[in-house]
Amino acid sequence: MVDKIQIKNLSCYYNKKCVLDSLTINVVKNEILSVIGPANSGKTTFLRTLNRMSDLEVSFKRTGDVFLNEENIFYMNMEFLRKRVSMLFAMPIPLPMSIYNNIIYAPKRLGLVNKKPDMDILVEQSLKDASLWNDVKDRLHTSAMKMSGGQQQRLCIARILAINPEVILFDEPCSGLDPISTAKVEESMLELKRKYTILLVTNNVKQASRVSDRTAFFLMGKLIEVDKTEKLFISPKEKQTEDYITGRFG
Amino acid sequence: MRKFLDYIIETVIFICGMLSIIFVVLIFSFLLKEGLSFFKDFSFIKFITNQFWYPNSKVPSFGILPLICGSVLVTLGACLIAVPIGVMSALFISEIAPKGVRDILKSLVELMAAIPSVVIGFVGMVTIVPLVKNIFNLPTGLSAFSGSIMLGFMAVPTIVTISEDAIRSVPWQYKEGALALGATNWQTLRRIVLKAAMPGIIAAIMLGIGRVIGETMAVMMITGNAAHVPHSIFDPVRTMTSTIATEMGETVRGGMHYKSLFAIGLVLFLITFIVNFIADLFLGKNKNL
Repeated sequence: MVDKIQIKNLSCYYNKKCVLDSLTINVVKNEILSVIGPANSGKTTFLRTLNRMSDLEVSFKRTGDVFLNEENIFYMNMEFLRKRVSMLFAMPIPLPMSIYNNIIYAPKRLGLVNKKPDMDILVEQSLKDASLWNDVKDRLHTSAMKMSGGQQQRLCIARILAINPEVILFDEPCSGLDPISTAKVEESMLELKRKYTILLVTNNVKQASRVSDRTAFFLMGKLIEVDKTEKLFISPKEKQTEDYITGRFG
Repeated sequence: MRKFLDYIIETVIFICGMLSIIFVVLIFSFLLKEGLSFFKDFSFIKFITNQFWYPNSKVPSFGILPLICGSVLVTLGACLIAVPIGVMSALFISEIAPKGVRDILKSLVELMAAIPSVVIGFVGMVTIVPLVKNIFNLPTGLSAFSGSIMLGFMAVPTIVTISEDAIRSVPWQYKEGALALGATNWQTLRRIVLKAAMPGIIAAIMLGIGRVIGETMAVMMITGNAAHVPHSIFDPVRTMTSTIATEMGETVRGGMHYKSLFAIGLVLFLITFIVNFIADLFLGKNKNL
C-alpha cells in the first residue's frame, strides 16, 4: 500500500468562509476513493483543490499541504500538475471542435505527440480505453457537440486518458447520465483503477458502494469518517455516517 | 376585450416590422432605378474600369476605378489597424483585466463609439495629418494612410464591444475543461475561447468594416479628395462615399452626373453586400464544425 496523495491539515476558504476544515486524509495508489456527503460538505472544493482548479478563483484561500508522490503540489507548475492530476467534470464538456481534435488537443499542447501517425494511434487507443471507439470511429472529424450525453462524458474520459495522468478526479461524473451510460462509466472506472488512482465525488451513495475501495464521508466541511467501503456501509463508526447512508438525512 | 387588445398590439408590431422591410426595399429600388438608367447611356464595364473621373468636363468621363481604389485602400488600411487592436483589447477587457479596470475600460470604449465622425475628422486633420506629413516627409499629409488611421480608430469601439460580448459569452466550462487538461492560460484563450467566440468576433469585424466603408465625413476631411488611382498608401485618395457627398449638391437633377452618383451608390451597395455574404459564408462554416 503506497500513498499516492497525502493531504495534511488542508483548510479552504471562500470569502473567508471556511468550506473545508483541517482535512487530513491519504489516497492509496491504484484505489478508488469515493467521497460522499450532502451538499455544502466541501467535497467538490476538496477535489478542485487537488489539481488547483480552485486557485483560479480570486476569493479562494487555503492553508495546509497536499503531497503527490511526496512532492508538495502547491509548489508545482500548475499546468504540469493538471497533466498528472486530471479532472472529469459533472457535466460533459466537449471542447467546441471535432472528436479527434478534442482528444489530441491537450497532448499536442503538452508536447506529448507531434507526428500525425502517433496522433492517430493515440486517438484510437484512448477511445478504445474509454469504450467509445466503436461508436465514433467513422466520424472522428465531426463535431463533438453532436454526440449524446453519455458519449460526450466518455469522450471526456478518453481525452483525459490521452494525456496519461497519474490520478483522475471524478466530480459527480454521472449526475447527468441515464442508468445505462452510468453503468458504462462505472465499468470503465473499475477498468482504469489498474493504471490510475481515482478519486470519485458522488451524490449517489449507491454508486460509491458499487465502485469504490474506500469511502470518505464529509459533513459541513469536516471529514467524519473514512474506511473500507464495505465496512463503512455495513458498520459505520459514527452515528452521522449511518444516518446519511441509510437516508435519514441529507 | 383582452383579445382585442392582443390583436391591436400584434398588428402594430406587424406593421412596424413590415415598415422596416418596406423602407429597405424602397431605398434599394430607388437606387436601382436611378443607377440602372445611368448604365443605359454608359457601359458598366467602362464605369468601373475607366481611370478618369471628370464628370463636369466637356466630354465627361465617368470612371470610378480611382474611387473604388480609394475606398478599398482606406478600408483595408483601417482594418489592418482596427482588427488586431480591437480583438486584443476585447480579449484583455473580458479575460485578463481585473474587474475594476474592466468596467472603466468598457465604458470608455463605448464612449469612444459616440464621438461624431466630424469631430474625429477634425481632430485627425489637425493632429494626424501634419504628423504623417512630417514623419514620412510627404508633400501633403492628406493621404489614404491618415484616413486609415482615423477610420481605424472609429472602427475599434464597434469591434471591441461586440467581440467582448462574444468572448464573455463563451461558457466558463470550456475554459475549465481545457485548463483541467493542463493547457496554459494563453493556450486556452487562443485555442478555445477565441475559437468558440469566432462567429461573434467575425460579426464584430464585419460591422466595423461596414462602419469604415460607409464613413463619409471623416474621410472627406482627411484623405485629400483627389480622384486618381493611388500608387501608394501615402497618396491622397477619394472614396466613393465622399464623392457622392461632395458632388450631390452641384448636380442637375436627372442629369448624367446625378445619375452617375446613384450608380456609385449602387456599386457601394454591391460591395457591402459581397462583404456581408462572405462573412455569412464564414459563419456558416464555423457552425458546422
